[in-house]
Amino acid sequence: MTPVPGLHLTPDDIDAWLAGALAPAAQGHLDHCPDCQERAETEREITVLLGALPLLSPAAGFADRVMARVSVPAPHAVGTLDLLKQRILASRRNVAIAASLLVLLLGSMAGSVVWTLGHQETLAAFGGWLSAQAGQAAWLGVRGVASNFIEQPWFAALKSLAASPGRLGLASTLAMLTYVAGILAFRRLLALPTQQVAHAGI
Amino acid sequence: MAETPEWVRLTDQEVVLLARAGREAAYRELIRRYERPIFALLFRMVRDRELAEDLSQETFVKALNAIESYRPEFKFSSWIFKIANNAAIDHLRRRELDTLSLDGSPHAETPEAMQATALQIGARQESPLDAVEAKELGGAIETAIGRLRPEYRSCILLRHVEGRAYEEIAEMLDLPLGTVKTYIHRARNELRQALAHLKEE
Repeated sequence: MTPVPGLHLTPDDIDAWLAGALAPAAQGHLDHCPDCQERAETEREITVLLGALPLLSPAAGFADRVMARVSVPAPHAVGTLDLLKQRILASRRNVAIAASLLVLLLGSMAGSVVWTLGHQETLAAFGGWLSAQAGQAAWLGVRGVASNFIEQPWFAALKSLAASPGRLGLASTLAMLTYVAGILAFRRLLALPTQQVAHAGI
Repeated sequence: MAETPEWVRLTDQEVVLLARAGREAAYRELIRRYERPIFALLFRMVRDRELAEDLSQETFVKALNAIESYRPEFKFSSWIFKIANNAAIDHLRRRELDTLSLDGSPHAETPEAMQATALQIGARQESPLDAVEAKELGGAIETAIGRLRPEYRSCILLRHVEGRAYEEIAEMLDLPLGTVKTYIHRARNELRQALAHLKEE
């Protein structure tokens, strides 16, 4: 009788065999050992039987029964409003303060509307003066930025680049590509991490 | 109005984030994903449909009400299976159930209740002979699983029915990796012995 090479398979060897990753030395033993072959085959049958057990489901309406006992948090805005409502209604003093603030707010709004209707010319004159002042300030700002820009040492190089349409096109393309690459990198950075999850497709 | 996400394309972690933001549909999606595996595990742990349903509900209620405490660096599936397994083990410790009744719950008092709580085996399309064989074999393995120690039962079900890795099972059950391997090998040995008579026939 030919001696069987190596030791009998360990439970870890059986696992490796079931996973199709048995080491060559152990495989050599398995090929010649009827005891190990029978044991491995039985274990395989058991794992196949276990894997083929019928799928079971809870009775219909399971999700509704669970959800009836789960407190779903309110979305943030609704939650904040609820909290505010709870605090206001917590005592008579809070209700009085809230009512006073509301009266003050509505009163000032009504007063503002009445005053505006009665002083339209004054408001128009003030608006005209304000827009003239804003325009002047903006113009001064633009001139300041432009003169500062012209005085920069790299301005001459930029001007010569603009003089050649080919070089200008190349520089614009490079700038655009850099911008797009930046946007893509930023999107990737902000993407949620994902993880493989079993049963996700059930 | 908020846009409805395509749920199947989202990972569990993303669904959990939506649940935390107050989307009820996200809670329902988590239930949809896990109700069957959790129920199947619990049924095979406690061997009573009604009880398994109660424990499944407890598991989901507990997990979903504590969704804020779930840490997204771990798999959601590991977390919820851990809660389910703890519920089953706690129950089994309180009340010893040592034999599997394929004819229904051991607590059922009428034939109708027995029928209603019976384990349905062999639901696939099969010939009458195949169905009998499948029922016999399926019934035998269900019986054999039912006779395992609860710790062995959790391990073998998570490994070979749910397809979890040894490391994940160790994490779920708070057991050393070596212990999980030992339990699974012993469970397979016991199943092998329990099924030996069928093989001889």
